[in-house]
Amino acid sequence: MSGWESYYKNEGDEEEEQEEGLEAGGEYTYSGRDSLIFLVDGSRAMFESQGEVELTPFDMSIQCIQSVYTNKIISSDQDLLAVVFYGTEKDKNSVNFKNIYVLQELDNPGAKRVLELDQFKGEQGKKHFQDLIGHGSDYSLSEVLWVCANLFSDVQVKMSHKRIMLFTNEDDPHGNDSAKASRARTKAGDLRDTGIFLDLMHLRKRGGFDISLFYRDIISTAEDEDLGVHFEESSKLEDLLRKVRAKETRKRMLCRLKLKLSKDIALTVSMYNMVQKAVKPPPVRLYRETNEPVKSKTRTFNVNTGSLLLPSDTKRSQNYGSRQIVLEKEETEELKRFDEPGLILIGFKPLILLKKHHYLRPSLFVYPEESLVNGSSTLFSALLTKCLEKEVMAVCRYTPRRNIPPYFVALLPQEEELDEQKIQVTPPGFQLVFLPYADDKRKVPFTEKVMANPEQIDKMKAIVQKLRFNYSDSFENPVLQQHFRNLEALALDLMEPEQAVDLTLPKIEAIDKRLGSLVNEFKELVYPPDYNPEGKVPKRKQDDEGSGSKRPKMELSEEDLKAHVSKGTLGKLTVPVLKEACRVYGLRGGLKKQELLDTLTKHFQN
Amino acid sequence: MARSGNKAAVVLCMDVGSAMSNSLPGEESPFELAKKVMTMFVQRQVFAESRDEIALVLFGTDGTENALAGKDQYQNITVHRHLMLPDFDLLEDIERKIQPGSQQADFLDALIVCMDVIQQETVGKKFEKRHIEVFTDLSSPFSKDQLDVIIHNLKKFGISLQFFLPFPVGKEDGTGDRGDGNSRSDHHGPSFPLKGITEQQKEGIRMVKKVMMSLEGEDGLDEIYSFSESLRQLCVFKKIEKRSIPWSCTLTIGSSLFIKIVAYKSIIQERVKKSWTVVDARTLKKEDLQKETVYCLNDDNETEVPKEDTIQGFRYGSDIVPFSKVDEEHMKYKSEGKCFSILGFCRSSQVHRRYFMGNQVLKVFAAKDDEAAAVALSSLIHALDELDMVAIVRYAYDRRAHPQVGAALPYIKDAYECLIYVQLPFMEDLRQYMFSSLKNNKKYIPTEAQLNAAEALIDSMSLVKKDEKEDTIEDLFPTSKIPNPQFQRLFQCLLHRALHPQEPLPPIQQHILNMLDPPTEVTAKCQILLSKIKTVFPLTEVIKKKDQVTAQNIFQDNHEEGPTSKKLKTEEGEACFSISSLAEGSVTSVGSVNPAENFRFLVRQKKASFEEASGQLINHIEQFLDTNETPYFMKSMDCITVFREEAIQFSEEQRFNDFLKALREKVEMKQLNHFWEIVVQDGITLITKDEAPGSSITAEEAKKFLAPKENPNEDTAAIFAEGGDVDDLLDLI
Repeated sequence: MSGWESYYKNEGDEEEEQEEGLEAGGEYTYSGRDSLIFLVDGSRAMFESQGEVELTPFDMSIQCIQSVYTNKIISSDQDLLAVVFYGTEKDKNSVNFKNIYVLQELDNPGAKRVLELDQFKGEQGKKHFQDLIGHGSDYSLSEVLWVCANLFSDVQVKMSHKRIMLFTNEDDPHGNDSAKASRARTKAGDLRDTGIFLDLMHLRKRGGFDISLFYRDIISTAEDEDLGVHFEESSKLEDLLRKVRAKETRKRMLCRLKLKLSKDIALTVSMYNMVQKAVKPPPVRLYRETNEPVKSKTRTFNVNTGSLLLPSDTKRSQNYGSRQIVLEKEETEELKRFDEPGLILIGFKPLILLKKHHYLRPSLFVYPEESLVNGSSTLFSALLTKCLEKEVMAVCRYTPRRNIPPYFVALLPQEEELDEQKIQVTPPGFQLVFLPYADDKRKVPFTEKVMANPEQIDKMKAIVQKLRFNYSDSFENPVLQQHFRNLEALALDLMEPEQAVDLTLPKIEAIDKRLGSLVNEFKELVYPPDYNPEGKVPKRKQDDEGSGSKRPKMELSEEDLKAHVSKGTLGKLTVPVLKEACRVYGLRGGLKKQELLDTLTKHFQN
Repeated sequence: MARSGNKAAVVLCMDVGSAMSNSLPGEESPFELAKKVMTMFVQRQVFAESRDEIALVLFGTDGTENALAGKDQYQNITVHRHLMLPDFDLLEDIERKIQPGSQQADFLDALIVCMDVIQQETVGKKFEKRHIEVFTDLSSPFSKDQLDVIIHNLKKFGISLQFFLPFPVGKEDGTGDRGDGNSRSDHHGPSFPLKGITEQQKEGIRMVKKVMMSLEGEDGLDEIYSFSESLRQLCVFKKIEKRSIPWSCTLTIGSSLFIKIVAYKSIIQERVKKSWTVVDARTLKKEDLQKETVYCLNDDNETEVPKEDTIQGFRYGSDIVPFSKVDEEHMKYKSEGKCFSILGFCRSSQVHRRYFMGNQVLKVFAAKDDEAAAVALSSLIHALDELDMVAIVRYAYDRRAHPQVGAALPYIKDAYECLIYVQLPFMEDLRQYMFSSLKNNKKYIPTEAQLNAAEALIDSMSLVKKDEKEDTIEDLFPTSKIPNPQFQRLFQCLLHRALHPQEPLPPIQQHILNMLDPPTEVTAKCQILLSKIKTVFPLTEVIKKKDQVTAQNIFQDNHEEGPTSKKLKTEEGEACFSISSLAEGSVTSVGSVNPAENFRFLVRQKKASFEEASGQLINHIEQFLDTNETPYFMKSMDCITVFREEAIQFSEEQRFNDFLKALREKVEMKQLNHFWEIVVQDGITLITKDEAPGSSITAEEAKKFLAPKENPNEDTAAIFAEGGDVDDLLDLI
């Protein structure tokens, strides 16, 4: 049969295509958007901190939500987010229920919303909340959920995934009102039926948070998310963040494929990207006058006749010397076809045969897909168990899509791991590792081996031990962070963007301090007295100076500036550029943008 | 990156003497095999647009044409092509022009001619490598008078040598006559019957070994290949492979500990270098095409705006921020230039392989000719290795490149030691997804019998051979020695199209397919256990259902009103999914799963008007065709056949004829010629008056309707003339 699998087009596919250099261009075509409501308890108890240094549960929730907002802006700005407080004094919602305050309706996260959340942070945030909204004494959870359901139904666009995250430290909200409690249960059931997920982000409560009192019947566990465990309550911000992160994104599979053990035995698996390079989103074209986005249309036409050409009116060609070779477009695709999409099992090898440095591209995660072939999970599970036990990996030939040449891959068995918070850190399944072909390996001219002696090695060991740390959390990408800080500054009309802290830079001073005299001792052991390991150029010094002056260089010519002035478009330039322009022409511009504009305009008009 | 400076001069030296054409019935002659190997080599050079220059010297030719030829000397040796860039003419020559000669010539003489070619023709040009490849069966007599001169000169001018012979040659014994030839792992593919080796050939083998030994010592023997071996491993031509560019930097720890290093890309996915140019289908010129991008506002009129009136912006969540290129450049993250700085060290178990990122692996060595640096780096490598730790490093290629954080792992081999650098993800790159535990769901826990079957399968499909005595394991399927089939396939198709522009693309070569399949000994062993798996794990019944459901999923968006009742039925696990059960159900529209049956049911049961049902059916046919997939073509054919039958029944012939005419146009427009050929093959044409009185079509007209148009696709028409059948046609698709 044909490769049905190739029709499971989703965003994952597009990402993969982009990765492979086929620029998918512009925006994603979502089948629907993910939407998420943060529902935060605004009762007084949420504002009481447990200890001197500890954050209040409310503060933790807000910081957590804000972090999700900024992450969403970077990773998936099409998703919809909302913030709702309940247990408040004032109310603001479409059905005028008491004690429910909708701070932000479901919409894309934006700069203004992040700022608004910022006001609720910390000690000042507490005051702000009390002034603006206030604590209420009473609420009905069923009404709260009703409001949330309304928020979802008010959204016009198609939503693919609806989720509510409930932040509270009250484990028995309707302890003495069984009618309210039962209404809440009913409403929660209604939500479940309409495909809305409700997660509990329960926070530290004196005496412990007991889920069984009330929330067990309220929260939903989706079939594919039945982890069999519930999270522990969170008392630290990091814990809460990890819990929220784990739930906040819906799993998006790359594709579903057959894993063929032989010609007639196949199970189905789904593939996931667990690491995916986050890149700067592509720019959008805007109309200069109104700053509205414009659409672009590309068309191909014949130069001689001017007529538009259909794809079928073209062919593909390559020239070698004087020889032109012409193929139909379909043929250029066809010659890449070897197998139908799928994984074809070749055999098994001991894990030790996988060389650590044979790395080609990021691994994928493979998990059984029961919805297509019943019994897949059992067979998968049996293979996984035995591969783990025998310490072997499965070698397969992998064709992700039609017209993609095959690659050999190794499926490494991976056992499930939970951390002490009962959060899954390693999911059970196979890790798919791409194996290089002979062409992918380069022969490297190696430097002659000169072995260090044990004394030298021991000295280095001491250095290594001094600089030992736990690599558990990854670093932020300084390039992306700076880009988004810049955008944020522009979006909020800030004068200067906040400089992102580059966490990837070595902490030179700390390192020096820790190493102390070890460095010199090592150098004495290893380097001859007159040896200069820095080479010819003392590079670092130069670089430091270069980056120290963060002044933008003047790249606008006088003509450009004049053109801006005469067209009245000078205002489109940023403050740093304007400042620099003033400096070049020796003008004193002042600090405000308008002052700079006036100065420059005056200069060039005269 | 391959350095452009290191060109190679290569002389292909081929024996075309009379014995080369001898072969057993059913086997290719050494002459043909040698041509194949040479083609593969030259083909790679041509398509890689390598700047290496290649000459071709033939010996055993009827004529003589070389600079050294004297009265009795260097006879029957022809310099067929002088040293120059390889091109299609050379490939064409190898395929068509080179003919077996009727003479014999001394291969050592030929070698001297080759050396002469290299010496004379590289004058004034810069070549980093000089290389001769000899293809011969060694059956001609030779004189060893000049052997010392030859070896001396090969060494003097730095000329390397490779021999390609029709039979494998062993290392240990001097004759190459090893009886059954078992000791070499060369047990498939055509090989010359070793028994048939003549005394002359044995003599030749001894000579070849002597030459290679004196040039490169023991290793020299590795440069003697058999033809079949070279066909399997297309990468034997290592003599001229390109090397990576060195990247020099300083490894830093803190502010004062520096080690001078040099790094090379060691693993990076090799991609097709050349991309396709879009050309006009008629003139085949790219100048005749112009691509134009216009910008227009998002209003009802789609008002076009000139590009100058647009500016660049970025989305920041819901906001769109105007942000010019200039500003972006000014405000963006500024890197401090190239660096390889250690941030700290952690246990190697904390850096999981599943987090490896990026598209390359670097090998980091101490700077060349710097012993102090070598010792310093060596202490770091050994310290890490002994502590089982890795370094976390900030790496930036240069000032413009974005900085990365990665891991440097110690790697110690006999010949060298280095750090292996791999990128690690940034926080933004990680996705934390959770999956249900496979152990908690009772449904999925395998039974003891199932586990045993899985274990037995794993054992039987083992790709390694254990040697208990020496405690070593041999990898029977070393994937990293297999060349990427994509390149060979591309070159094959390009060459074929260049030499035979009118023919369809050739099928994939068998030796490429063989290379990708598991070793036959493994496949043979596991058959029984596979059938065991099949019985123990119930899977097969469901596969059928799977297809049904998927088909529905595919077109879900197109017909929301789709037959949900049927879907439910299948999901209840009704393995036997028959048409009759479908008909009993409430079919209210034509679905995509069984459109033909649905259609027939609807019109016969009068559940829907013929017009309505046929409209739905036509929609499905069009969807199927849009997929451009053979199985869908077959499905469409079913639909069309049923449509035709029912149209005759219900006197709706006009509707069918209109449809078929429209279909023909559509097929032409969308270039679905291969589909139309199936229609023609099945003889499905317009409904004639003979079949339905309401039709005005004569049998003649109906026949004409299927006849190819004035301008048919020549290739496929030709196949028809040869009486090909549907299967052939499908192969072409």
